[in-house]
Amino acid sequence: MNLSLPILIVAPLVGVLLFFVLPRRWPAVIGGLALLIVGACLATEITLYAFRLYNNIIVYNFGLALILDGLSHLMLVVIDGVAFFITLYSLAYFSKYSENKRFFILFFLMLAGLHGLVLVSDLLRFYLFLEVSALAAYALVAYGSGKKELEATFKYFILGELASIMILLAIAIIHATIGSTSMSEVARGYASLAPLTKAIIGCLLLGGIGTKTALFPFHWWLPDAHTAAPAPVSAMLSGVIIKILGIYALARILFNCLGASNQLLLVLGILGGLSILYGGFLANRQNDMKRLMSYSSISQIGYIVLGLSLASPLGIMGGLFHLFNHALMKPLLFLVSGAVEYQTGTRNLTELGGLRQKMPVTSLGALAGSLAISGMPPFNGFWSKLFIIIACVQAGHLWLALAAVIGSLLTMAAFLKVMQLAFFSSLKDSLARLTEAPLTMTLAMAGLALLTLLGGLFFPIIIEKLINPAAITVLNGIGYSQMITGGRL
Amino acid sequence: MDNNLIIQAIITGPLLLSIFCFLWPRLAKWLALLVAMASLAGAALVFFRAATLASGLLLAGAFFTLLVTVYSFDYMKERGRQGEYYGYLLLTLGAFSSVVFAADFLMLLFAWGIMGVALYLLVGLGGPKASSAATKTLLLVGGSDALMIIGIGLVVVLTRSFQIGSVPLPTDDPLAIMAFICLAAGAFAKAGVMPLHGWIPDSAEVAPLPVMAYLPAALDKLAGIYLLFRLCTDVFSISLNSLLSNSLLAIGSFTIVAAVFAAMIQHDLKKLLSFHAVSQVGYMVVGIGTGMPLGIAGGLFHMFNHTLYKSCLFFSAGAVESKTGETDLDKLGGLARSMPWTFLATAMAALAISGVPPFNGFFSKWLIYQGLIELAPLNPYWIIFLLAAMFGSALTLASFVKVIHAVFLGQGDKTTVSVKEVSFLMLWPMLTLAGLCLLFGLVPLPLNSFIYSLTGKVDFVGGWQPLVAIIFILASLVIGWLLYLVGQVAKSQIKPVFIGGELISDEETKVSGINFYAEVRRWGWLETIFGWGEKRYFDLSNWAGQLTGLLADKLSRLQNGLLRSYLFWLAGGVVIIFFVLMK
Repeated sequence: MNLSLPILIVAPLVGVLLFFVLPRRWPAVIGGLALLIVGACLATEITLYAFRLYNNIIVYNFGLALILDGLSHLMLVVIDGVAFFITLYSLAYFSKYSENKRFFILFFLMLAGLHGLVLVSDLLRFYLFLEVSALAAYALVAYGSGKKELEATFKYFILGELASIMILLAIAIIHATIGSTSMSEVARGYASLAPLTKAIIGCLLLGGIGTKTALFPFHWWLPDAHTAAPAPVSAMLSGVIIKILGIYALARILFNCLGASNQLLLVLGILGGLSILYGGFLANRQNDMKRLMSYSSISQIGYIVLGLSLASPLGIMGGLFHLFNHALMKPLLFLVSGAVEYQTGTRNLTELGGLRQKMPVTSLGALAGSLAISGMPPFNGFWSKLFIIIACVQAGHLWLALAAVIGSLLTMAAFLKVMQLAFFSSLKDSLARLTEAPLTMTLAMAGLALLTLLGGLFFPIIIEKLINPAAITVLNGIGYSQMITGGRL
Repeated sequence: MDNNLIIQAIITGPLLLSIFCFLWPRLAKWLALLVAMASLAGAALVFFRAATLASGLLLAGAFFTLLVTVYSFDYMKERGRQGEYYGYLLLTLGAFSSVVFAADFLMLLFAWGIMGVALYLLVGLGGPKASSAATKTLLLVGGSDALMIIGIGLVVVLTRSFQIGSVPLPTDDPLAIMAFICLAAGAFAKAGVMPLHGWIPDSAEVAPLPVMAYLPAALDKLAGIYLLFRLCTDVFSISLNSLLSNSLLAIGSFTIVAAVFAAMIQHDLKKLLSFHAVSQVGYMVVGIGTGMPLGIAGGLFHMFNHTLYKSCLFFSAGAVESKTGETDLDKLGGLARSMPWTFLATAMAALAISGVPPFNGFFSKWLIYQGLIELAPLNPYWIIFLLAAMFGSALTLASFVKVIHAVFLGQGDKTTVSVKEVSFLMLWPMLTLAGLCLLFGLVPLPLNSFIYSLTGKVDFVGGWQPLVAIIFILASLVIGWLLYLVGQVAKSQIKPVFIGGELISDEETKVSGINFYAEVRRWGWLETIFGWGEKRYFDLSNWAGQLTGLLADKLSRLQNGLLRSYLFWLAGGVVIIFFVLMK
């Protein structure tokens, strides 16, 4: 009856096939087609919402039980919203690599994996789709195929696969003890497991998902991988991959399947706080614009996890809202770094200066992104940080609230440094002939910048339409299983 | 139209119309002028219907926007980015009005942050050289906003309401004290109380001067001290002679004295003025910190007075800078003849800030002193605070003697003496403000119309009759003039100076004024302290920066690039989590 969900998974795969067939001399055709497919996916998701169809649709097709609830819907919008702007940006960006065919093949493979990941209702299939998108991500990081890129990819691959194996092992133990990998079955059966089994499953999942999320003691792959990847890929990694493979998995498995225990929440909260501080401090030390942004991603992901770990309505809402906001501002910032590198050939802050005069749109994008991520009004980051910190105080975690505030200051210091050194300081002689980035790149940046501003001004609408349905799903905990009673899988 | 509607219009109008300033830079200044005039008219209407502190602040905000806009017509003429400039001015006005009328903490914080962002961007308009000052500004002002969130969270937890000041919270448990500190930090950073003042001197050097007159001197002071006032009276109830109230008094007194010492030794007019802007906040904090009606009334009155004379002083510094291209005290001089009106305005404002009667600064300081004296039976330390306040006032006068001498009266060279007076567009704001300084000294309008109704009518210990005082002052002036005529001074002659038969040029005999207080620097322990100040030991942002660098260095060793150490962390992390989950 409802084919829209399977189509969401199939459409990117059709794209992959088409790009294979099309000759690499037609980058404009490939790019245009890519934009069309992503736009269609995004339009479908918005239509699904507009007709209130998203409310827990369950579709059984091709042997898959696909479920679209509030949380999945938020994730789909994040994936395709970010992917749309990245595709737009990539139209011009990949001209420097002489072809965009391979990029779009891998990118759409990743999209297919991500779409599947947020829709399936079975842990094993969850794992499969997770691997599809992770593999595409490894290949994309290695896109430049230079020494640094390959080294970063190698580390990312080893750590990422280790994490996948831990997740798989946890799923295997779940299967062995509960007898099913269907999320609803797991949710019903998990509570009766022995404490030792629970602890083993919990620590494996936390380690595995923590690595995918890049939480503090598991984050090591992230700075290298994000720095080495081409800017649109970094934007996708930071804006989408760590959120879907990480936060979505965290929310879906730990909250909805395992019914997060207090110890688990405590661990998550502490890891979140540590990530906030660690990422914040290290970001301040970087002179490479992209590496600075990568460390800041660790810090920001810490906020999201911290919000979720409070397990209070305000905390979860704040965490998910921050996820949504970060998915707008961090890709924006990575795209800015890409535009700067595209035009100047360097990302080193000490070699840049005065770009405001030569690249006004890029500079405005950087300003919007920096203020948003620093949590300054009227940008969207202000509200989500506010909610998270107030939720922390309400939960009595004053130390975590203080960590969040210090992290906010550190983030601000890091990004104001970028603004000062790269954009507002005096123009370097070597940059005198600089021009603004190509049109599609500036369009993508301007679009995202506008969204960070509108998100801050009209936040009640976003919270009501997108965030709250998702927060209700997470808050529902293992009650989620009620929704899919009678699931065949 | 009812008042709420007008207030809404003054909040949203400037915010929305600022967009058009960005879109049409050519028309920006006219649009800003129009909006400022309309806001002033609206605010005046609101004020005359209901004279309250909030509507007084609204009136002041619109008034300063108008003055700064008019002043900038000439001052900013040669500088680019006009659209941005006037756009940010309007943004600030809208946000400020919103701060003043915010009913709940979320709205307050939102508008508060927008003011900070606008300040950052306005300072940044000083060009590439202003970029580091702008960064520091937002770090201090915006960073304290983040701290305020914790304070708001605590207040919400304690009162279960986002409303500002539904029920005053007693400050007897640690959570309430922490909430107060977090919220006060925001007020302090905005108003520029030590040690969160660092952004004011830094941005004074590089930002366009009308920006300094608009934000640090006027609207930021109003917003910061207004918040502090509401914190101390509406949101929290602070008992007299508690640790908290003594800390407020101590911070205020320290700010007065430390900043005025720093001001005395400055060589740059802009920087000197900026340190006075910090020093004067100390009086407001002390006034509010007394907790006595008289002191609070004095603090609030001083807040209004400060905006008048300090904006006037920044305006006149801008006038001097735009005509001579110079703000270094050593290179200025003799401008009293070439710029008489600027001189008049500066002199009046300088007397006002120094607390010389009959100007407004004296009146409000007098109230604050009275408040401190009233505190005597309750607080054993009152005398320290009183002495600090009075000492600071004397040093302020000393510092402005130096300014008046170095800029206007002392010998100048040919280039500075031959300049012309600034245009009427720049003079009008200065003279208006100087006139108000005198008017408020004679007739304390804010006190009578709304401050007393907040604090309750207060009785003076010592009388202050403006008219009587005026008569005495006039009399002393007349006597002085007579002495001048009768005595030897008028008969003095100007003779060329010879040394060893050589005629000495005027240049070499110049007494520039910058060395007036050079001796102060060399007083034993003061020298050490000034040395510390120059090494930025009193600047919190400097310390925070150092600490961040140190910690980041240590932490970065973890990310050593070796896969095996990453695997070790991964395994270790999983094992630790296992044990935590087993508990």
